[in-house]
Amino acid sequence: MNAQRLLALLVAIIISVPLLFPDGQSVSLVNAILIWSIFAIGFDLVFGVAGMLSFGHAAFFGVGAYTLSLLTMRMGWDFIPSLGAAGVVGGAVALLFSYFAIRVSGLFFALLTLALSQLIYIMAGTKLRMLTGGVDGIAGVPRPDLFGIDFYDDGNYYFFLLALFILALLISGLIRISPLGQALKAIKSNEVRAEQIGFNVQRLQRSVFTISGIYAGISGGLLASLIFYVGPQMLHWSTSGDIVIMVLLGGMGTLFGPILGVAIFEIMREWLSTQTSHWYGILGLVFIICTIGMPKGIAGLVTQLWDRITPGGKS
Amino acid sequence: MSGAEQAKHVLRCEDIEVSYGAFKAVTNVSYEFKPGLLYGLIGPNGAGKTTLMNALSGRAQLSNGRVFLNEQEITKQPPHARTWAGLGRSFQITQIFSEMTVFENLRLAAQAHHFRLQPFWRPVGKFREIANDAERVLQEIGLESFGHISAGSLSHGDQRALEIGLALLSEPQVLLLDEPLAGVGHDVAEKAVELIRRVSQGRTVLLIEHNMDVVMEISDEIIVMLAGEILASGEAETIKSDPRVRTAYLGEEE
Repeated sequence: MNAQRLLALLVAIIISVPLLFPDGQSVSLVNAILIWSIFAIGFDLVFGVAGMLSFGHAAFFGVGAYTLSLLTMRMGWDFIPSLGAAGVVGGAVALLFSYFAIRVSGLFFALLTLALSQLIYIMAGTKLRMLTGGVDGIAGVPRPDLFGIDFYDDGNYYFFLLALFILALLISGLIRISPLGQALKAIKSNEVRAEQIGFNVQRLQRSVFTISGIYAGISGGLLASLIFYVGPQMLHWSTSGDIVIMVLLGGMGTLFGPILGVAIFEIMREWLSTQTSHWYGILGLVFIICTIGMPKGIAGLVTQLWDRITPGGKS
Repeated sequence: MSGAEQAKHVLRCEDIEVSYGAFKAVTNVSYEFKPGLLYGLIGPNGAGKTTLMNALSGRAQLSNGRVFLNEQEITKQPPHARTWAGLGRSFQITQIFSEMTVFENLRLAAQAHHFRLQPFWRPVGKFREIANDAERVLQEIGLESFGHISAGSLSHGDQRALEIGLALLSEPQVLLLDEPLAGVGHDVAEKAVELIRRVSQGRTVLLIEHNMDVVMEISDEIIVMLAGEILASGEAETIKSDPRVRTAYLGEEE
């Protein structure tokens, strides 16, 4: 066994909890972890693989959530096509963002994506109030109606989310080892050289940003259906901040790290929020300590420890 | 003989000017590069040699002038499009993918050459043709025993060779080499000169180099720059005996 397999095992254990302990609380927690993991896996393609720090992913996440909610509730669409549309709209908004933001890089890219995303947040609460329900949001977002299975039962919905999670993980894993993923790693490693050997850097960055937007849109739609609600908070910049923290905590640029980051973040959010109303501040403090103590995140720490206890196992 | 070889010139620039504010780094540069020749570009520091190379490869914005490759205007094209059109280059400061292996570096260059749209539905290892190209160039640049090691841990001389290998994978008609011998020891420099000779077979090479002995020995034609302009050009013997060059560059009194 190598460190990669150990990380995969850890992920497998976390997502199998509902099979071993099918009580309501653990199932709803793992459901949330699965959804945020889809978001994090997609976000890491941009952040960890291509090296672009985006603070605008809340926009794609929130837009996906509103798309699914509006299509199912107002237009009478079925859940699955609506979920597909959530991904398409998330990807389309990401593509639109990329045309503005990819002109700059680094901190300017982060700030520009943040500004664009806040623009959508503000519009959702004001100009688009008729559509979005303003600050009240939209309640009563449905879950899928498939094969006569009651997906309003969290235990059943878990299997639906698990299937989508595995699909999202497989696609992301394939992208990472495909020529596209390798080209993105090259851009992250040395943009000048990547461009000089013939990679169209901006087109590649736009492509991965769009793919990542599809992931965010789908996960946003799924979260809305999990909690039966969509509100402007999903579009708020703090949602982008949360996903950055999750991925950094777990280990950016790794396949399984972001999932572990989501799990730790969600477990702590669940537990801390029952202890104190200042839970978000404490979470921030834990994050700061973790990033100083383990700059490569949980995945990096696990890999390091594994290499240390298995002499010769280091790759 | 191919059509490109029959052509009078493969690369041509017309009245090139590159300005940084009020400072003109390159001005009034026009030149025609013939197919299959090795051009040595010399001049004192700050003469505009690298800026000219940047202007040709699309890394410097022109304030005036035009660039043509095979009579197609490429003035407005970004660097990657010029690479596709047949212009490869290496840099003064080594530009490689340091944390990847030597083989991975070359495979990336091979895939950039093979695919305009990068496939995402198959692992990169399944594309045999790009691995074969990478292997071929790995041998060509003499790094076959270093394929699996991280590029950042190569010696400086080998990193310079790898850079040339990366440029070769785009099968360039014109290769721009910016001081490939800078900072390498005497023995390694000999190997590098041999490599430059080999890669210049059948293609146009523009070489910036401070080692005069090497430039005079291997260049078919030498271009001397001073203060952003071309001062003189011609064969080595002509350049050596040109009083303007001796004064301006070699530091001798007229």
